[in-house]
Amino acid sequence: MVETVKLTIDGHHITVPKGTLVIEAARQVGVMVPHFCYHPKLKPDANCRMCLVEIEKMPKLQTACSTPAAEGMVVRTATTVVNEAHKSVLEFILANHPLDCPVCDQGGRCDLQDFSHEYTPTTSRFIEVKRVFPKEYFSPLIETQMNRCVQCLRCVRYCDEVMDVKALAPSGRGTMTEIKHFTHHELDCEFCGGCVQICPVGAITSRLSMYEFRPWMLKRADTVCTYCGDGCQITIQTKENQLIEVMSAQGAGRNNGDLCARGFFGYHVSTHPDRLQHPLIRRNGELVQATWEDALEWVAETAIRLKLAHGPNAFGGLIGARCTNEDLYLFQKFMRLVVGTNNIDSSARYGQINGVRALRRVQGTSRWTVTFDDIVSAEALLLVGTNVTETNPITGLKVKEAVKKRQATLLTIEALEPAVGTISNIANLAAHHFSVQPDGFKPAVLGLIKAVVEENLVSQPLAQKAPGYVQAVSEAVRRLSWQAIERATGSSSQSFIDATRSFTRTARAVILVGQGVLRAPDGSGLTATLLDLLLLTGHHGLPGCGVAPLAEENNDQGAVEMGAALEYLPGPSDANDQAARARLAQAWKEELPKGPGKSLMEMIEGARTGSLKAMFIVGENPAGSLPPSAGTMEALQSLDLLVCQELFLTETARLAHVVLPACSYAEKDGTFTNTEGHVQSVRHAIELIGESRPDWEILSALSVLMGYPLEYGDAKEIFKEIRSLIPGYGLLGPAPTPPRPDQAVVESYLKTGYSSGLAERYTLGERRAASGERKDFSLTLLVTQTLFHSGKFSTRAKGLLQVQAEGAFSLNPADGTRLGLAEGDRVRVSNDLGEMTTTVKLQDRVPVGLALFPEHFDQEARRLLRVSTDPATQVPYYKSASVKVEKAK
Amino acid sequence: MLREKYKAEIDEILSRYPLRRSALLPLLYLAQKEEGYVTEAAMKEIASILKITPPQVYETVTFYTMLNLRPVGKFHIQVCKSLMCALVGSDTLLGWLEVRLGIKPGNTTKDGLFTLSKVECLAACGTGPMMQINDDYYERLTEEKVDRILADLKRDGTSSLKSGPFMWPERTDG
Ligand code: SF4
Ligand code: SF4
Ligand code: SF4
Ligand code: FES
Ligand code: FES
Repeated sequence: MVETVKLTIDGHHITVPKGTLVIEAARQVGVMVPHFCYHPKLKPDANCRMCLVEIEKMPKLQTACSTPAAEGMVVRTATTVVNEAHKSVLEFILANHPLDCPVCDQGGRCDLQDFSHEYTPTTSRFIEVKRVFPKEYFSPLIETQMNRCVQCLRCVRYCDEVMDVKALAPSGRGTMTEIKHFTHHELDCEFCGGCVQICPVGAITSRLSMYEFRPWMLKRADTVCTYCGDGCQITIQTKENQLIEVMSAQGAGRNNGDLCARGFFGYHVSTHPDRLQHPLIRRNGELVQATWEDALEWVAETAIRLKLAHGPNAFGGLIGARCTNEDLYLFQKFMRLVVGTNNIDSSARYGQINGVRALRRVQGTSRWTVTFDDIVSAEALLLVGTNVTETNPITGLKVKEAVKKRQATLLTIEALEPAVGTISNIANLAAHHFSVQPDGFKPAVLGLIKAVVEENLVSQPLAQKAPGYVQAVSEAVRRLSWQAIERATGSSSQSFIDATRSFTRTARAVILVGQGVLRAPDGSGLTATLLDLLLLTGHHGLPGCGVAPLAEENNDQGAVEMGAALEYLPGPSDANDQAARARLAQAWKEELPKGPGKSLMEMIEGARTGSLKAMFIVGENPAGSLPPSAGTMEALQSLDLLVCQELFLTETARLAHVVLPACSYAEKDGTFTNTEGHVQSVRHAIELIGESRPDWEILSALSVLMGYPLEYGDAKEIFKEIRSLIPGYGLLGPAPTPPRPDQAVVESYLKTGYSSGLAERYTLGERRAASGERKDFSLTLLVTQTLFHSGKFSTRAKGLLQVQAEGAFSLNPADGTRLGLAEGDRVRVSNDLGEMTTTVKLQDRVPVGLALFPEHFDQEARRLLRVSTDPATQVPYYKSASVKVEKAK
Repeated sequence: MLREKYKAEIDEILSRYPLRRSALLPLLYLAQKEEGYVTEAAMKEIASILKITPPQVYETVTFYTMLNLRPVGKFHIQVCKSLMCALVGSDTLLGWLEVRLGIKPGNTTKDGLFTLSKVECLAACGTGPMMQINDDYYERLTEEKVDRILADLKRDGTSSLKSGPFMWPERTDG
């Protein structure tokens, strides 16, 4: 039971939970108390004095933003005394404010304008000269106009309390306080745009849309960001079909109005001049402009001919997980019915599949059993291989909130050193941090499990319920020696014991699994082992507890659930689940294709050997993502038919026979499913660019020409069909309702299911460092996702390019010294596969022995990578390599 | 680098506080003692010692008038401009200094001897107008006293008119 208090505000009686601030209680009865420094996301600071109210029995006016409601309180917000107070506070602020509303981008949505309009007399007693700050260049993306600042410090507090970046400094004192970065340096930070959004006036604004609009000219569309699995709700604002700005309202979506740089500044991709505007068809070796009719007819005819000659299994389909659920659903239906093959895959294959496989195996769910809210209210959080700030920034904010505001215990197993930098570093917040190389993730997890077993922390009910399982796992970890674990992780046995103790002590524990695990060898196995950890500590199945694999792409989860994978039908159901097949066949009024189907890597192999003749590729660019050693280019070149639906002429599209211009997320309607499994509406913000069309519409048009019409009036109709197949899919509420673990599956896992692969899962594995090819001077290169980009897609966003326009080779300063390299040096990085030249960046947070390079600019770096394919999940791994580094001549 | 030169002193400072960042002001003093002002490099180094960001260090430096962000002359004249001193004529004092030194607050004389600054209350409110030069207070100032102080400093590097680091207000009750 939450304790409550009753109070009266301007005559309204209200009951609120104890601790509620008067300003919030007032908001609940519809009374707006004017305020600048207060913001629900921030700790009360009570520095602006704008929110003064009268409270009975209190001698002086009180700040509503810092006074908690108390039993029997009588608050008045609109008396003469209060109004006088508001007037004088405003008089003080306006004494220095330049009143340059005509040229201020905040004009029309500015708190100072609104409050002045409401409370100020038109005259002022101040005759002094106004303060004038010399104008200083602040940053390429963010503009400051310090003369407009009301010194509420919301920006500074947001950057610290919410972002944990601490990039803003209120420099100076009193009226002369000015928001700066570091001395006269330009801003270097996460560029989340949070300070722009939270500034109540026009003192901090975005440079991407400077002087381009007045708020009332803008058309708004609430939609979902397309840059990562967090699925933030964004409002795209446009003027005459031009993208003007992106914002996210306080409280909006799963992100609660917070965004990252990609979401806030990355929106110009959709209107990039390189967008494909017309269909292209290959004639005499060249891709030339064609009409939709010609292009589609040519594709249909060729496809029909090839199908007759070689059968449906000579076709393959690949789709990107940036597509909507509607696109994904129709794509797999197209492949299964119109073409008649199970050769279907999506970019979820690069990692998401690993997580889903493990969840299905151990607990019978295909998605998280927790939500972002459970992360926030977790008492213990374990992050494994995530660098969450850079891959899933908003999930990162939830973790920060849990740790900073609610004192959760954070455990991190990451290839990160705790070090303060210009962007936040989750390892800095960890109570127990294991800084390991990527191949140390698994040994570190096993170290935790060994500690659970050896310190007798195994849940008693579990030991009674599943003695065989507990014994098998216990024996497996007892076989591993602490020395070996210490060697593999560089951490002491005691540190594992301490960490485990603080983890098991808690009632609510969540484990986040990142790309370092999911996109690395045996990602599925290690995720299952993390589920073992939760089972052993007794957390598994408890409310608010669970293992949560993080989706990298915005609709990775949807891609799996829509059945855009050889092994899954919509649901997802296993492709060989007879009941599910029968249901689907009945709904589709057609038999489903039989046979196992080919995965991404098998399709490439098939194309290379000639068993695959044709491919439909929608919004995916294997030739640009996989390393050249995979031979993707050559394989795709030998196809008789390659059809690409794309926004840009990518490496893959350049090889196509026909390129069909697809539209971007900003131009279409539909749904995305985020990493939590929350299905959210995508709404078009601008009209279609050129002749581009939504992917589902293109597939639908093709299906008609191929003699098997899959026709829908709009995306909603497809969604209705999805709903009829997956009951309850996407109840579009404010929060997801996560599934509970399927007890039958958990029991069968505990009985026998655990044993398959147990031996491999519970070995430390070869230290890659030990392999012969590594020399003294060699480093492990890791190609990773960074905060400022998302795949290669965002490298066409002009805003993001201003923050990061090229790749750099980041390594620890100690390695720099050892190799005689300084910041900015040009280096030659090479191994037996190839070489590249790049620039050195020294970063304290990169562990010794490791070097990071952003995948977004890996055209050259990819040459150094080798692909290996997971035999169980068909996931291709190609993110790391052993390399030699020397100064370039 | 401060860390190399003052290792023991820094360790001792850090050991005084349960919260690491509380050591910020003492470390800034150390840095200022070293160079006469707080350099950017020092701010960065202190940030890294305390595991905070350079902007957080910078913010603190700009708050306190005792910390200088630019090199100062041999004698740093800090005139109190807070209320009590203002009531007894700190602006006249400042004006006099400006004329005598030929510089405005925030600047240093060409010979590098004097830097003039305006600062907040130095807790000598009963004996204003007053100023602090380097570590010494000079109180109950008049134009004539100021002239003597400047001449003394130029000539001897010190002045007998100083009242030391702090002076209690005199008793007036007899
Ligand atoms: S944009 Fe930069 S300065 Fe502004 S809140 Fe975000 S991280 Fe802080
Ligand atoms: S810049 Fe804006 S948010 Fe920051 S202190 Fe000034 S008015 Fe407040
Ligand atoms: S990239 Fe991810 S975290 Fe950033 S705004 Fe988009 S959905 Fe949110
Ligand atoms: S909003 Fe209450 S003091 Fe600023
Ligand atoms: S007001 Fe000048 S010392 Fe206090």
